[in-house]
Amino acid sequence: MAAAADRRFGIGLLTPIGLLYLFFLILPIGFFLSMGFFKYDVFGLYKPELTGENFARLVVDPYYLDIVALTLKLAGLTTLFSLLLGYPLAFFLTRTRSAWRGALMFLVVAPLTTGVIVRTYGWIVLMGAEGIVNKTLIAAGLIARPLQILHTETAVVIALVHILMPYMVFPLISSLAGQDPNLERAASTLGASRARCFLEVTLPLSRPGILMGSVLVFTLSAGSVVIPQLIGGKDVQMMGQSIYELVLHTLNWPLGSAMASLLVLLQFSIIFVYFRSNRRVRR
Amino acid sequence: MSAADKAGRRGWFGLRLSVFLIYVFLMGPIAIIVLSSFNATTSMAFPPQGFSLRWYGEFFRSDSFVDAFLFSMKLGLCAAIGATAIGFLAAYAIVRFGGRAREAAQSAALLPAMIPHILISMSLLLALNFVPVPDFTVLLAGHVLICLPFTIAGITASLDGVDAQLEAAAWTLGASRARILGEIVLPLVAPGVLSALIFAFIVSFGDIYIALFLAGPGMTTLPMEIFSYVQWESTPVIAAISTLQILLIVGLGLIVERLVGLRRIMRF
Repeated sequence: MAAAADRRFGIGLLTPIGLLYLFFLILPIGFFLSMGFFKYDVFGLYKPELTGENFARLVVDPYYLDIVALTLKLAGLTTLFSLLLGYPLAFFLTRTRSAWRGALMFLVVAPLTTGVIVRTYGWIVLMGAEGIVNKTLIAAGLIARPLQILHTETAVVIALVHILMPYMVFPLISSLAGQDPNLERAASTLGASRARCFLEVTLPLSRPGILMGSVLVFTLSAGSVVIPQLIGGKDVQMMGQSIYELVLHTLNWPLGSAMASLLVLLQFSIIFVYFRSNRRVRR
Repeated sequence: MSAADKAGRRGWFGLRLSVFLIYVFLMGPIAIIVLSSFNATTSMAFPPQGFSLRWYGEFFRSDSFVDAFLFSMKLGLCAAIGATAIGFLAAYAIVRFGGRAREAAQSAALLPAMIPHILISMSLLLALNFVPVPDFTVLLAGHVLICLPFTIAGITASLDGVDAQLEAAAWTLGASRARILGEIVLPLVAPGVLSALIFAFIVSFGDIYIALFLAGPGMTTLPMEIFSYVQWESTPVIAAISTLQILLIVGLGLIVERLVGLRRIMRF
């Protein structure tokens, strides 16, 4: 086929997506992120004066500093617990010879498709003051008044782990399924115990999956709005919520934009660390 | 049986037990939503006190919820068709004409999946202040954007299975490129395209982050309606709506699973 005509046809096919990305993704996001360098204006969206005060405020004002620190802490905990729960699950799903394997896999993906709001709602039903956990405990005579479970950091982490864990499980499955089973067999033939086999062969080989899953879960939890808003409320403020409040309620676009830039910077530095350590493993 | 085998069996049993508990954790909240939707009383008692469908009736009587449901269906359909059409063209260009730039083009196409969705919707809201575009168009564009990575991933995977020789043969016989695309390629990847369409609908229907900023008056999606309702009160009517949504989505998900497999389209 003629190369030049092919090129033209290919470019034609890419025109709709190119225009969409340019006008509805790249330009708006670029504009939004540059907003962080402008002055806040009570009467308009911003004052066309360059300033660094929005970013300075995020690092100096203890209110915002706490939000950033809490986001890092909760996203870190969510990643850790997703890994601790996701690893055995992924390990089981790659090793089992059960006829139910396909169905079990489907059950891990299916919750992802129901949307964040439905799954978050399930936790509200469970953990609310009138929720199932409290009612059961009161009925059993273990407590007299309902426990405060919603609006705690623990509740937010539990819900985040529940909702984001599939993103940890799939990269793990990919890297565990890609391993040569002969390696483990060789190690055990040479006298390694099962524990040693796991710790010195299986676990190190699944490192790319662990890294990929952790990056996904960390970035998704750091940027989540709806889960901390519904489960944590005003008591547990994370960066996503704070951006949402700043933009929709306080109408301080420049500060909201600066906070969003910080979030994106955070996420990209995590991804950068991921690519660097991944390269080291491959070498 | 040697001691090592015994230890291995015990280890495998322990693993199965913990996997069972992890599934309880994953499925529990969803099962509880479904069960409490059949509750006969106002409170979210569990186990449900009596069986009734009153909350489903309540849902169908509530104008705001029914409107939101219908609006989500309409938006999901438009977004799915848009994202599948644009995604199909892009995926074909990447697979057939990408050449050495294929990897880079593919990563670029997946851009919306790498950016936090709230960032996309906030930026579009801000842009609306300066450029007069109809609200619905912007909401739809946002949904098409978040669906595109999935449709492209799914259709690219299907296109990889198509023999390029068939297209070359049609070309030699004088078919135009557009005709090859429509009459040879499209029928061959029809299952992939159909599942991309369904999956895009699922993504759009479940979205909250784009709608959070862009759903203006008269354009409330179902997740948005639930989100604003749940912040103030919690009655089993939400459980009933959620159950209907789960049924719809899981049904569609099963179709995708049958057609090409959910994992493939989600790029894992």
